[in-house]
Parts: sequence; C-alpha cells; structure tokens
Amino acid sequence: MKIIFQTEKLNVEEVLKNFASKNNSSGSVISFLGKVRPSNKKKKIKTMDIEIYEKMALYQTKLALKRLLKEVKIQDYLIMHRYGNLKPGENIIFLVVASEHRKEGFIFIQEILLYFKKKITFWKRENYLDSSKWLDRQS
Amino acid sequence: MKILYFAKIKEVIGKSEDSITINEQTTVKDIVEKLKVINESYKLAFQDLKNIKCSVNCNYIDSFQTKVTNNDEIAFFPPVTGG
Repeated sequence: MKIIFQTEKLNVEEVLKNFASKNNSSGSVISFLGKVRPSNKKKKIKTMDIEIYEKMALYQTKLALKRLLKEVKIQDYLIMHRYGNLKPGENIIFLVVASEHRKEGFIFIQEILLYFKKKITFWKRENYLDSSKWLDRQS
Repeated sequence: MKILYFAKIKEVIGKSEDSITINEQTTVKDIVEKLKVINESYKLAFQDLKNIKCSVNCNYIDSFQTKVTNNDEIAFFPPVTGG
C-alpha cells in the first residue's frame, strides 16, 4: 500500500510485475495508466508541466483512501503520479490494485481517478509550439 | 503565517509564497484583501475568487470567511487538474 509522487519517469512494466508477484494470492490485479496526449483540440503538445502541492496532495490522497477503504474491500494498492516536465506519450499516473474479485478493483480505480480530478493538488500546463495554457477542470 | 500560491496564481503573482503576520480573528477574505493592495499582479490574481480554491493546513475550506491564525499554512490555487 504505497503512494508515490515523483519527477522520475514511471517504469510501469517492472512495477506491475513486482506488484502482481507480491500479491500472488489475489484473484484480481487491475491497473490504469494515464499518459500525456500528443495534441489537444488540434494543437500539438510539445511538453506538459505538472505542478504539485506535495504536502497537501499526500494528505488528501490519504484522506481519500481512508474513506474509500471503508467501503471497498481491497488487498493492496499502489498509486504513482508524476510531476515536472513531461513529453507526449510519457506516463502521468499509474494505479494498480489487488483484490479478491475484480468488481472492487474497478471501483477503487474509478474512485481514485475521480479524487485526482477533483481534490488532489496537481495542475497541468500544456506547452504548444507558440504558446502555453494551464488546463481547467473540463480540459 | 505562510501563504503559498500554485499554478496560474503563482505565475500571475510572480512568486510561490509570502509570509505575513496577522491579527487575531482574521479571515481568509481579510488576507485576500490585504494581498490585493500589494500591487497590480496580486489584484489580478485575486480578481475572480469564484475560480480560486483555498486550503488551510492542507484542508479545503468551504468559505473565505474561515478564520485563521499565524500558525496556519494557507494556500491559494485554481481547481486541480491531476490524474
């Protein structure tokens, strides 16, 4: 059960392999990977800056997990989110969850993603060839 | 007290934090008004409070009328866009 926020690239293949092996007795291991898109509304994205208020992001993620784990029975999880300067195709967020059955795992992934969209303090700025723009919630 | 700024608000103000001393019974709104008179950048950053979120010690606040003390860490930022 780990939360990791880092500037280094997310090496998801190795992380998933280790997680699945560690949770060998779980009936279900589900993962989600979010990546930087190559364009937004036909504008080519050169890079993406992701800013974090780390202390609050960690605090709010733990708060979200405390609430969620009262409702959803899972056996293990790993939450990774990158910040800093990213290029299209690079990994932003990686979630992996182990549970006895798949239903709980899917609910967990969906709920955590909603928390990241609404409460966890990260902000994205897309840098285009000639300008840049902070994304709003609808982007 | 420590005041932190993030994302677009930080960019408009041109710095990531300030440190100020406040009196007892000060609200977040009072702090915003105090900041807005520093210069035009602060005024611009805080002109539309509907699009600004605020936290006190990492907890979201429901109202800018929330009271704060000198020991609090307060942060102003736009709605989050993580994930």
